[in-house]
Amino acid sequence: MRRDRELSLDEMNAFGSELDALRQRTLADLGEADARYIRRIRAAVRFCCWSGRGLLMLGWFPPSWLLGTLLLGLGKILENMELGHNVMHGQYDWMNDPEFAGRSYEWDIAGPSDFWRHTHNHVHHTWTNVLGMDDDVGYGVVRLFPEQRWKPFYRWQPLWVTLQALLFQYSVAIQHLRLDKVYKGKLSKAEVRPLIKQFNAKILRQWGKDYLFFPLLALLIGANALAVLAGNVLANLIRNLWTFTVIFCGHFTEQAAVFSKESVVGESRGHWYLRQLRGSSNLNGGPLFHILTGNLSHQIEHHLFPDLPARRYATLAVEVREIAERYGQVYNNGSLWSQFSTVLRRIWIYRRRPSLASC
Amino acid sequence: MTLIPFAWMRGCTRLLAPLRVLAAQGWLRESDVDAGLKLLHPALRLNRVFAQVVQRQWVADDMLELTLQANGNWRGAQPGQHLQLFLERNGVRLSRSYSLTAVQPNGCVQIAIKHQAGGRVSPYLLEHLAVGDVLELGPVYGELSWPEAHEGVLLLAAGSGITPLLGLLRSALAQGFSAPITLLHYVREQGQRGFVAELQALQAQHSNLQVRWSLTAAGVGSEGSVGRFTDKHLADIAQLDQRRVLACGPADFVAQVQQWWQAAKLPGALQVEAFTAPVLRADVSLREVRLGFTRSHQQATANNQLSLLEQAEAHGLKPAHGCRQGICASCTCTLLSGTVRDLRSGALFSEPGQPIRLCVSAPHSDVDIDL
Repeated sequence: MRRDRELSLDEMNAFGSELDALRQRTLADLGEADARYIRRIRAAVRFCCWSGRGLLMLGWFPPSWLLGTLLLGLGKILENMELGHNVMHGQYDWMNDPEFAGRSYEWDIAGPSDFWRHTHNHVHHTWTNVLGMDDDVGYGVVRLFPEQRWKPFYRWQPLWVTLQALLFQYSVAIQHLRLDKVYKGKLSKAEVRPLIKQFNAKILRQWGKDYLFFPLLALLIGANALAVLAGNVLANLIRNLWTFTVIFCGHFTEQAAVFSKESVVGESRGHWYLRQLRGSSNLNGGPLFHILTGNLSHQIEHHLFPDLPARRYATLAVEVREIAERYGQVYNNGSLWSQFSTVLRRIWIYRRRPSLASC
Repeated sequence: MTLIPFAWMRGCTRLLAPLRVLAAQGWLRESDVDAGLKLLHPALRLNRVFAQVVQRQWVADDMLELTLQANGNWRGAQPGQHLQLFLERNGVRLSRSYSLTAVQPNGCVQIAIKHQAGGRVSPYLLEHLAVGDVLELGPVYGELSWPEAHEGVLLLAAGSGITPLLGLLRSALAQGFSAPITLLHYVREQGQRGFVAELQALQAQHSNLQVRWSLTAAGVGSEGSVGRFTDKHLADIAQLDQRRVLACGPADFVAQVQQWWQAAKLPGALQVEAFTAPVLRADVSLREVRLGFTRSHQQATANNQLSLLEQAEAHGLKPAHGCRQGICASCTCTLLSGTVRDLRSGALFSEPGQPIRLCVSAPHSDVDIDL
């Protein structure tokens, strides 16, 4: 459990001002190096995807097939996390370059970017870990905190989570459709229809590209279509498992806190910062690891400053950690495996109906 | 790197139509296609307009004329209009508007760029841009046009205000306009008179053209009139009351011309174009500003205190928005002109084309946004 010092109103405002000042200092320093970095990331994405797709055309020959699949998976991970996710947050809007404009970027994943900009940028980032407001807390299929009301459905949650991990991109994509509300009759079918149309169109494009176009191209040039198809399926699977792991470590670790709806009424900027710090958890690792997680390994910094270029988070972390310690707040960090094992424990423990005594 | 010549590159434009359709429907990512096309020719793009610098020529001590040849996506322009030009500096794609000084039949256009001390774009363009370099061009704007009535014309220019008027003058003379034309150009010092040799040659060639300069810096005596714009400078112009007037220059110059024109009761309509410098003083006391919502063709009076989101909503618009506190970027919108202030930090932004968040930005001057 966390042991944070409760802050007075004045302390909370001072805490907020310190983080605001840090944000301002970083904003004023953005320039050439950040622009070059994101362009290099995009070049790496292109290199990985195209060389991977090229190698897959060589058929089942194990070294080339495996390397091709891994490269394609790596390209998709980079595109998804360090490029797409961060660009869509508007982290590079200051560049004024239409190719990196957060409001129009479309990423290489099943979910339409517009859906993500709503469910993630708006709902999740504004109401992080507020039960009943942030749908990312368990995505409606997992109970991770004792504060969540138990339902019989949660008994099987280790199974639901496994399915979600395997199909993570689809679980992210359907989140915006709010099928639970449609099922309960709170949302009319007419309201969901245009969203379903958009959803179908995007899935069609993704499947058309990965599972139809490139296998057909293989057939056309006399390569093995099945090897290409299998490589694409596996690459998408690798990406699903990796993004799932990183994202579940962001807010559901042992020391991550959740909040009630009542606690955020009339929330100040300082209070919002404090909630982001308490609700997020970091992963330790080297520079390459951070890039592969899209710098979501710096989840705390990402939630404090979602619109600052993610390559800055490592530097910001030093100061954020110092500020957090000075205000007596736990700075939740650990290695990937130690953090992930606490998430798995939560999934295992909170599947059970709470006994009356503990309620 | 250039694998194909410029003419082939322009020819490619039509062949790319199928790719354009696929990109528009989301099957291809335009930036990926452009990355490939760029390898064939640095100015080749699927939809965006890029141009190559064909020639650079100094036309005054502080003014350079550039001849640009655009790729096949260019849709043409009229003399008197101005175009947006993009340049990346320190990671930021900046844009500036420059008037066309000529639109050539072969698809080349000319613009003239005046050195702005301390500017982020013009010093680079003047000193470092080389023949063969490639620049992105934006859309063309502007309503200035040569008067249709075959009476006399009076052109009043101050500083770089000469540029659109020269564009109009060149094309009118080339088409044989024969009524009297007087061009009066106000510049600070002798060396800032632009296009002198060409204007003098035109004067010698066309008897209906009269060109005069007025030096506004104190103490410099020379040919022509002296000092800032006043009706005395117009006293000896023949048939002044018949002339159609076009004026272009800084906002205060144009305002003076407008005042004189209204008092003088000249025929037709007065055509003016003014440049305004961004408002960068830190004064945040309550004042009234004008808001232009260009996409919804709406103008509104607003104040400089409330966010653009609140004020747009107060005027009946419904901009996309999310958290209303600067977190989610849902209300991001393009600033077209003017200065806005970040309500959280007080920082001022005045780059045209810059994405701004409506919920945490207040207008700091008259502002136009793409909404």
